[in-house]
Amino acid sequence: MIELLIFFFFAAVAVIFALVVILHRNTVVGALSLVASFFALAVMYVLLDAPFLAALQVIVYAGAIMVLFLFVIMLLNLQHVSEPATRPIQQFLGYSGSAFFGIALVYYIVKYTVLQLPPGPFLSDARLIGVALFEAYIFPFEMVSILLLAAIVGALLLSGRGGQAPSPVRTEVAR
Amino acid sequence: MIPTSWFLVLSAILFTIGVCGFLTRRNGITMFMCVELMVNAVNLTFLAYARQFHQLHGLIFVFFVMAIAAAEAAVGLAIFISLFHHRETIDVDEANLMRW
Repeated sequence: MIELLIFFFFAAVAVIFALVVILHRNTVVGALSLVASFFALAVMYVLLDAPFLAALQVIVYAGAIMVLFLFVIMLLNLQHVSEPATRPIQQFLGYSGSAFFGIALVYYIVKYTVLQLPPGPFLSDARLIGVALFEAYIFPFEMVSILLLAAIVGALLLSGRGGQAPSPVRTEVAR
Repeated sequence: MIPTSWFLVLSAILFTIGVCGFLTRRNGITMFMCVELMVNAVNLTFLAYARQFHQLHGLIFVFFVMAIAAAEAAVGLAIFISLFHHRETIDVDEANLMRW
């Protein structure tokens, strides 16, 4: 019973803050709402017997990725930039198309998903995930680490001004 | 125990909100946040089915999706910083150099 109340409360929180993300004109408000939505999703992960991934959701998503977003918004000074109005045809096609898509998706989930939950608790602590990650999934794990390294190098290259190295004088001043 | 389909419906609603925002907004960073919303909706589906079938593979996939979303966010935001340096805007309609 208490589980149901928690589910509905945090599902409503997640959906409402997701709507704020797409409807609010201010990017900073959108980013902070997305953090709130991610926190509500972390509660969902706990309800799904995955507390380790809930912790990862809070640390990696709400902690690292969204701080990166907020940092870029503040860096580019975007909080005062007003977004021009979208074309009416794009608004109409976007809203009606996604509404149709969503209604079809929910309809077919409700119609065809009749799955009985298996008995017994689902064990998914950090130890089991670690064993699976370093035995069966060791190759994808290494690939992801190489991908993250490539992303670091790519981000450094892309965000430098025109790709030129900072002059030694400016580096001295910065120190 | 909460049925799996309720989580799937919540995931579908969040995914639809993400699609809607991606189609109707023109601010590059907001569009990027909508992509993150869609990624999270898919993560919720992975976890719901992982509990349904008592399999750890769904959890491992969520782990990988999080790592790749982090890489994507880093590179994508660097692209927007670069775009802002060149064009003084992050409106995606202004970035039309490679249009036919």
